[in-house]
Amino acid sequence: MAIAFPSVEWVEEYKKQINLSEGYKKAGATWTAGAVALVTLAKPEIGLNEDFGIWLDLHQGVCREAKVVTAEEAQKAPFCITGDYARWKQVIKKELEPVKGMMQGKLKLKGDLPTIVRYVKASQELVECSTRIETKFLDE
Amino acid sequence: MLYDASLNFIFWCPTKVVFGQNTALDVVMEVENLGCKRALIVTDRDLIKNTDIPERIKKALGKLSAGIFSDVEADSGVHIVNQGAKFGKEVGADCLVSVGGGSAIDTAKGIAILLKEGGKLQDYVGFQILTRPQTPHIVIPTTAGTGSEVTYIAVIKDHEEGRKLLFGDYHILPNVAILDPRMTEGLSPRLTAATGMDAMCHAIEAMHSLQREPIADGIALHAIRLIKEFLPKAVENGKDMLARGQMLIAANIAGGAFSNAQVAVVHALAHSVGARFKVHHGLANSILLPPCLRYNADVCGEVYLDVLSALGVNIEGIQPDQAGEVAADKIIEFTMKLGLPQRLRDVGVPEEGLRECSELALSDGAIIYNPKLISESTEVLQIYQQAW
Ligand SMILES: [Fe+2]
Repeated sequence: MAIAFPSVEWVEEYKKQINLSEGYKKAGATWTAGAVALVTLAKPEIGLNEDFGIWLDLHQGVCREAKVVTAEEAQKAPFCITGDYARWKQVIKKELEPVKGMMQGKLKLKGDLPTIVRYVKASQELVECSTRIETKFLDE
Repeated sequence: MLYDASLNFIFWCPTKVVFGQNTALDVVMEVENLGCKRALIVTDRDLIKNTDIPERIKKALGKLSAGIFSDVEADSGVHIVNQGAKFGKEVGADCLVSVGGGSAIDTAKGIAILLKEGGKLQDYVGFQILTRPQTPHIVIPTTAGTGSEVTYIAVIKDHEEGRKLLFGDYHILPNVAILDPRMTEGLSPRLTAATGMDAMCHAIEAMHSLQREPIADGIALHAIRLIKEFLPKAVENGKDMLARGQMLIAANIAGGAFSNAQVAVVHALAHSVGARFKVHHGLANSILLPPCLRYNADVCGEVYLDVLSALGVNIEGIQPDQAGEVAADKIIEFTMKLGLPQRLRDVGVPEEGLRECSELALSDGAIIYNPKLISESTEVLQIYQQAW
């Protein structure tokens, strides 16, 4: 059954998919730069009343924890990527490459871009993992 | 075809450009247009020591001048930005006039953030996280190369941590660029050539970038034409105001092209030898451009044919798969005439340093825009070896 994005269930499934991914395990094997937070900005029209933060504790190719956090908590992660609903939807549908999105201001990155670039393959694998979730988008 | 139906891009180049001899002396009008009253001049040590340019700008500003901050060094750092912001606050600056090359301009971009937002510069590392316009900033370039007056990026070194901080934000794009050919007339032939080749690389890289798009391509092509014609003249005779002016324009539009379309492998490799062995940025680009053109040749045939046309080469009879080779040879011919060094070994890079640079280049933001995916340092090393 399709899982709503974003939701606690989606985040749990995302963690599962990341840890099932051989591609991510390999590409992120040397990642020790800490957690990555993804924030979807509130969009009350579709029922998303508050900013929704996803905290991914990534370490050496494994997602040790994935949890829902507030936007404020998300800012504490070494890398925090923020975008509105439509942008994240594009990312999950592979219509928007995240690094390109950051450069163009479609997504906002707080953190060191060169580190992300060094792991661009890993970031692509993370996007790949999200596409494997049967996702129900709130605006559809 | 160069583009397909899925083309999508953002072209964002809102900087007002003022061009002409002695226009730098009209800076006061631009400050007034921005609604500002206290302009802090940000400039580098060399310029204040060896020229009267900063003093002339100060005089032109008259009572709108809040003073000169002239502690900028070649590799600007967080501590310098902090000092500049502190000074700016003390003198009540409400806008910045940067006078110099890339380092002075980037320093001013950093000061612009701190004057507006306060806090620590390190808190703003990232892309597009600022939420409002920053301190107004007018740029008067004294080199024709970096194009920083129209880019949304600032690179500022954290000397304590030994790393470069990268800021990318539409809100740090300067408001005004005053391109006054008189400001570059004192630049030595060597620096004129090296900075001019930086602009050449911006133009060519914007065109072979994965994020290439038609607006950037159009202005990049014109930049190449201008550089081809006017860089040799500006090198030969620094007082040639036509050549100086056209080079400022070329650097400016090449800056607009790459700020939107990005740069790629040439810059990634140049940044690394710059960081590790302090090779001048323009010089490093100039040396690395030909082997990079050869590296990308098999996927950029049509692009490089366009580049060749802009370089004034008759492309009839040149097949796309030959274009990269021909372009590489043309660039070498061009830079030899400019009197620039041709090999990394000639500019202080030891062969044993290439491996480390190859690793470093893989984490450079520019590398992801290369039309050929580069994911192994051995591929980078091969290009470096060709240039060594
Ligand atoms: Fe450059």
